Amino acid sequence: MQLSKIAALAIIATGVTQAENYVSVEYLQYDENDNRVSVMAPSLTASYDIGTDYNIKADFVHDSVSGATPSYLPDGASGASSRVTNSTDFIYGKQAFNEERNAGSLVITKRFANRDELIVGGDYSRESDFDAKTVSLEYMHYLNASHNTSLNLGASYGFNEILSFTNSSTTTRNRRDDDRFEREDDYDTSSGASRKETSTSLNVQAGITQILSPTSSMKVAGFAIMDEGYLTNPHAFVVRDYSTAPKLVGENRPDTRRAYGVDLKYITLLGERMSYQVGYRYYTDDWKINSHTIENDLYYKLGKRVTLGAGLRYYTQTEASFYNGAKDYFTNEEFASSDERLSSFDALTYKANLDFKQNDKISYNIGGEFYSQSTGLDATLITVGAKFRF
Amino acid sequence: MIRLMVWSMGTLLLLSGCSIKEVKPWEKGDLAMDIMQYEGLHPEVKKFEAHTYFSKEASRGGAGVAGGGCGCN
Repeated sequence: MQLSKIAALAIIATGVTQAENYVSVEYLQYDENDNRVSVMAPSLTASYDIGTDYNIKADFVHDSVSGATPSYLPDGASGASSRVTNSTDFIYGKQAFNEERNAGSLVITKRFANRDELIVGGDYSRESDFDAKTVSLEYMHYLNASHNTSLNLGASYGFNEILSFTNSSTTTRNRRDDDRFEREDDYDTSSGASRKETSTSLNVQAGITQILSPTSSMKVAGFAIMDEGYLTNPHAFVVRDYSTAPKLVGENRPDTRRAYGVDLKYITLLGERMSYQVGYRYYTDDWKINSHTIENDLYYKLGKRVTLGAGLRYYTQTEASFYNGAKDYFTNEEFASSDERLSSFDALTYKANLDFKQNDKISYNIGGEFYSQSTGLDATLITVGAKFRF
Repeated sequence: MIRLMVWSMGTLLLLSGCSIKEVKPWEKGDLAMDIMQYEGLHPEVKKFEAHTYFSKEASRGGAGVAGGGCGCN
């Protein structure tokens, strides 16, 4: 076997980077039950090796998001709500919105003579009320000459700009004729009704990838995430003083969040045509949210052209210390949120996909997923794509 | 938590140094198969999945440091 082939196999086998020149297009259709959120997201990705020492990868995605999310709202009494409270001032209903998001990333990989890798990346995401910029740096270092063990270190820094409301009163959001809120046109920075807030996120990760045998390997990584700034959801409301002088105000979250976790992955070949991957992640933060995630993925090669995939993911989390979904809970607490995503819940994802290789250069994929939360949220994800290698 | 991270990595290092037989380069053909990659056959689909979980759940991390923020959470 040629030395270059051996080196390529060594690089690929660590699972860090799969050297390949390609262009791929993917389309995601995401739909929640009860006519909640729908997302259409076409994306384009290109990866190109410059010689043997550099790779450049870029992607772009456009999200069109529409629908309505459950929240406490000013009373519309128009049938927009699914759970009308006893108060005449507000309801628990659906907050309608439309959003467009454009996001892109650029990643440059430098491979050194010993095949260590330095990876520099940048991400940019823009929507009408949220701008995000992230830079990242990763280094993969082989710990032995056989390239069976690698140390992976990474850090990223994100800077976000969020359009929010200057006070939490419902009067800062414009009512629409249909008693729902549209995010567009709600903001009025010139009059001071809304303003820009900022937040930052520092994410560090350290891990090891170890080849265990000719047919199995594993990864373990520890991570820490430090968020600071405006971490409140500017679109979410809570009810305060329900039993005395009820009022609907914007939620308020702490302006810092420290999170830590461990991620473990193991992959093995079962027979000649089937692979099995299992992963576990533990997460904890100082908002008192703890979560466990277990993922299982199975791939089966049905002949030379067709690959079938199936997966099952289980997720469970505890609620944030300042979360409560009841309308009569909050009084004068500094931090308060009724955002369902901060509640305690379990979730299951069922996955199936098919990959068809037309030839060595062109392949197509189609996949479907069903996501179900114990909160009552159900969602389907359909992905369709094609990849052209050159 | 830090202790747990250090413990996990230390355990793997110990395993790698003590009890794992070295795999030679010419034995890595199966590991190079597309079905043996951690990100699956289609990293772009994994990215969609990760974005969905990020927008519907309250925890994140572990899958690398790249990737930007989003107003969806």
